[in-house]
Amino acid sequence: MRILAIETSCDETAVAVVSMVNGVFAIEKSILSSQAKIHAQYGGVVPEVAAREHAAWIFPLMTEAGIPHDGAGIDAVAVTAGPGLVPALRIGVELGKTLAWAWKKPLVAVNHLEGHIYSVWLNTDHPPSFPALSLLVSGGHTELILMKDHGQYELLGMTRDDAAGEAFDKVAKLLGLPYPGGPEISRAALEGDATAIKFPRPMLDSGDLDFSFSGLKTAVRVYLEKEESVSVSDISASFQQAVVDTFVSKTLQAIEKTKPASVILSGGVSANRVLRASLESSIQLLDGSITFHAPDLSLTGDNAVMIAVAGLMKASRAEYVDPLTLVADPNMRLA
Amino acid sequence: MMHTTHNEEETKKVAEAFAMTLKGGEVIFLFGDLGMGKTTFVRGAAEYFGFLDPVRSPSFTIVNRYLINTPGLRQILHVDFYRIEDPSEIWPLALEEEVGQPDTMTFIEWPEKAEGNTHPATHKIYFTSTDGVHHISIQ
Repeated sequence: MRILAIETSCDETAVAVVSMVNGVFAIEKSILSSQAKIHAQYGGVVPEVAAREHAAWIFPLMTEAGIPHDGAGIDAVAVTAGPGLVPALRIGVELGKTLAWAWKKPLVAVNHLEGHIYSVWLNTDHPPSFPALSLLVSGGHTELILMKDHGQYELLGMTRDDAAGEAFDKVAKLLGLPYPGGPEISRAALEGDATAIKFPRPMLDSGDLDFSFSGLKTAVRVYLEKEESVSVSDISASFQQAVVDTFVSKTLQAIEKTKPASVILSGGVSANRVLRASLESSIQLLDGSITFHAPDLSLTGDNAVMIAVAGLMKASRAEYVDPLTLVADPNMRLA
Repeated sequence: MMHTTHNEEETKKVAEAFAMTLKGGEVIFLFGDLGMGKTTFVRGAAEYFGFLDPVRSPSFTIVNRYLINTPGLRQILHVDFYRIEDPSEIWPLALEEEVGQPDTMTFIEWPEKAEGNTHPATHKIYFTSTDGVHHISIQ
């Protein structure tokens, strides 16, 4: 089966074609507005203001990806239906509905978070086994989710205030580093001492699996106000360590509670190498039989390939939706 | 009016007292630097209206909606223009459908990034801090 996937839930406009043969996925086309070289409209430079103009992007991307106008060769259409920003989601959802209706092809509604989780099913010979514990960390999300089987999710915990990626961006801003802040902090942290400053590890003893990063951000601000001379590298390294320690500790707590066969790390923040390495080694130390999975670096951010994979899995269970009635859901839940 | 708070609970108390005066249709601008308690203030207001789910920062999502169950009032719109780099990015968000409507109370963080490209404010609240003490000025 070959599926066309459309993702417009936040800043990125993305289109992908992915096929599944005997349970193996092959990425045939994948294109992102942030990487596309579409010169016609903006004369070569894509202004920042266009980032969320999905309506202007989506057809040039479809053309660039070589999607045939009659849908020839496409067996189904997958679209991100939520969660996200309503006017952004609507562009993708309405296009998906229109194409499915016009081409008379089945339509699959994918949850954006489900897409991130399925990013680890790509480019691997050993996909996660169930139950799988999923830590999803991005600019807008910080969630621990138990996946009991394909399509079966249980929300274990989430952030009560700021998402982890947001904390990275805002601390970067406090430090005068450019946006997006995650990679900048990681780079600065390489030169710094992670034990230099004792920032809080929020909610470690909260007794649940929720997170909170707002207080950590404030702790960095207060530190910057108090200290006369500061080291951006030491602050970056110490802040990053506080976030990583929090994730490792909460994930180990979740493992104790749910006894998973595998752990999945996904989302934009999963590109953080210290987080990947620390989480993997801590899990190995706790129980060597639990496998660890993280996506290719190219698939950590928002993309349509992950929506295609989640969509193919749903299509294989015939979980289709009616193109006449599907509505974008900004608060869509996994479970 | 000027309030002084020392922790999140006190900030939420000030927000509750402010929320008590709201009737619907208000557009409240929240001014203040990172970590000053703007989102905590909105959390206090949402809790006053019986919204018990976590109130999260809308910095990434830009708009969060909190549905409430008070006669004549449908929702709190929690808007954050932190990631907006140019006022022309506001119109694709289609906020005018909801902001200022009589069944909606809108709180806007980083309104200065919209430079007049959004609904005018009915209230302006300023968040500052000195030596760990927070000052909340409601105008």
